[in-house]
Amino acid sequence: MNSQSQTVDTFIKKVFAFLDEKDSQQLAPFLQCFEPTSSKIIVNANPFAQPAVFLETWQRAVVQTQHVLTGLDYHVIPGTGTTVCSVNGKVRFDESGRDKQGQDATAPELGAVAGAGAGPRAPAAKPRPLWGPYFGLSLQIILDDRVLNGDHNCVIYSFNYTMVYKPDDSLMSV
Amino acid sequence: MQNMYQNPTAFAQQNALERRVKISVKGWQNATRQDLVSFVSRKTRIAIVDSSVEGNLVIGYVNNQNEAQSLLNWNGVRFAGNALKFEILGNGGGDAGTSKTIVLLKSFLFKRYSPQTKMLDLGNLRNDPDLATNGLFSSQTTQSKIFPAMMKLASKESQLVVESINLSDNELKDLNMISCLAQTYPNLKNLCLANNQISRFRALEVWKNKFKELRELLMMNNPITTEPLYRSEVLRLFPRLVILDNVVIRDETKLQQVFSIPMKLQQFFFETNDLGQSSIDFVTNFLTLWDTNRSQLMALYTPQSQFSVAIDSSVPASSVPNADQNPTFGYYLPLSRNLTKISSERTKEQRLAMGQEAIDKIFKSLPKTKHFLQEQASSYSVEAFSYPQVQGFTITLHGFFEESAAPEIDANKSTPNSAGGRNRRFNHGHGNTPNKLAKRSFDRTWVIVPSQGTVIVASDLLTIRPFVDGSWIPQQVQPEPVLAQGQSPLSPLGPQGVQPITQPQIQPVIPGVPVQGVAVTPLILPPDVQAKLNPLQLDLLNKIHQETKLNAEFTYLLADQSGWNFDVAMKGFRESVNNIPREAFV
Repeated sequence: MNSQSQTVDTFIKKVFAFLDEKDSQQLAPFLQCFEPTSSKIIVNANPFAQPAVFLETWQRAVVQTQHVLTGLDYHVIPGTGTTVCSVNGKVRFDESGRDKQGQDATAPELGAVAGAGAGPRAPAAKPRPLWGPYFGLSLQIILDDRVLNGDHNCVIYSFNYTMVYKPDDSLMSV
Repeated sequence: MQNMYQNPTAFAQQNALERRVKISVKGWQNATRQDLVSFVSRKTRIAIVDSSVEGNLVIGYVNNQNEAQSLLNWNGVRFAGNALKFEILGNGGGDAGTSKTIVLLKSFLFKRYSPQTKMLDLGNLRNDPDLATNGLFSSQTTQSKIFPAMMKLASKESQLVVESINLSDNELKDLNMISCLAQTYPNLKNLCLANNQISRFRALEVWKNKFKELRELLMMNNPITTEPLYRSEVLRLFPRLVILDNVVIRDETKLQQVFSIPMKLQQFFFETNDLGQSSIDFVTNFLTLWDTNRSQLMALYTPQSQFSVAIDSSVPASSVPNADQNPTFGYYLPLSRNLTKISSERTKEQRLAMGQEAIDKIFKSLPKTKHFLQEQASSYSVEAFSYPQVQGFTITLHGFFEESAAPEIDANKSTPNSAGGRNRRFNHGHGNTPNKLAKRSFDRTWVIVPSQGTVIVASDLLTIRPFVDGSWIPQQVQPEPVLAQGQSPLSPLGPQGVQPITQPQIQPVIPGVPVQGVAVTPLILPPDVQAKLNPLQLDLLNKIHQETKLNAEFTYLLADQSGWNFDVAMKGFRESVNNIPREAFV
């Protein structure tokens, strides 16, 4: 009992870390966290049929993110083997104009050599994200009780992710 | 003020207002103000308008300086047994000069504005005959003042919808004079600064992080364009710029993709149609009782049911619309089970209420509230889907409430195990002020199990956070018309009206109850298609349309492909929803 809430906390932070992951190679373990056949994934009230489709979309079409956990509560529902978690957090996006692969929308400069056109930085420098303002986030997640014992395999039965507030000075449109 | 070209009367009125002169009348005390005004009008043929009493004076206005002068000639005229004394208070002089300039600038703005192209052409101001003849560009000092003044006036004119601005040929060396453009038109799309003398990046720097929608910029014939870093600096300053000096510098498709996320915010998600209706019924009835009589909700909870409240006190960025920047959570903090903030295992256990008695106690310890589900349906967002392990479903509601009164039980005073001494220490400097009532935002998740014609709540998780506008609320662009079209998902919340709750029980929520009374615009199908369909098929199309918001063509396609079976159609829709083009939706 002592470490139960710690375990949930750790798992949610792990989920956030996966969402913030830039490298698609690292995401296979995240996919394994989802129950493969019947898990329900809803993002901003848009459903995804498969965890893989969601992760692929997130990876391909959403820029790098940074999630912060600000609120967590959960109930173990007796007799069902499941736990329902209510999570609050905030998330910000890389507004540098580059996607997760580091590609930006700049058209190649005709005949020019210096820089990639994205600023006066050393060409070899690894671009750093330019974090925008924070969005508010509410996440409901239903987990198999095995998660309380530290088992993260196929534990996510449902994942309902909603951005609940948005700053009007962000470049991102949601 | 109105567009004077569309409304010449308003223009005339405006002019008349600018010319009128303020006067005072003394020595009228034996009669009423109205009598005085009538008397003056009869006697002198001069009307005193907008008059009021100030001490022993009547203050009012006459139409112009001439009238004011002739009024002075009537000094000493006897009225109600006294001699009247007129005085001019507002000398038209300085005032009139300023207002004349305002009128001039306004008419100039409208002259240079094209509603068709949404363009404000402020090119070559120096050689504009109107401005030149009035001496507005005669000296350096007037020049530097005239543009900010113009921008200030323009920002007040709601009729000037400006997407493009031309500032070419203005001999600009820097942006000092025009930097206020960013305040007036932050969403400007096109800007032309060609044929000026801008030579330094530093000059452009004032616009960094401004003009986030700027798509096209023209700076030809400025010395700055020959700088080696010109292009990259401009790219850096304007993150959404696509065209610079008529050259495409960014791939617009890629830009769109980078600055948007494919999961567009929706207000509602319901796994099935029936679940949508029953969720809304449940939420409406639950919150009605929550606001009026929480004890009656106890019928929904069993000895195994759990409830807890978590406070997320993180303050949203100030750029979030209507965000409460200074929230206090005095009533809630002793109850909060936000596990990221509590370290004591014992506290974690204590703050989880299980069974009716414990739940009732926390309910009584929370401030009394009012939710606005009916009145402001657009402020709430709901997701509901099935939860097979409990043979029920979960409903999550995001929205806001207003605290209407202090809680029945003050948790600050009834915290268990609070020895007097500790309590005083704990509450050091703790006044009543932090407990002021306020608006809050919240997220609430119910796990619901249908049982014998009614429902039980297995789990009830409430998060309370500082008030903000919900992200799903559209920006002010068109707040209401959405509803009028009737396809809005708001309609299930709205037209239902408050259901008078006579029995203490919540309406039974049973999946499978037919949807009723949901307003939705029927699909408009081409007549030849419609003629071939039977009423059942039409009904099905409307149902699919309502659920999916697909347009007529795609609704028909979906129905046809699924063999006119609603469930198959919805399944197909959900599976492919992310691949359906945007144009397929209404």
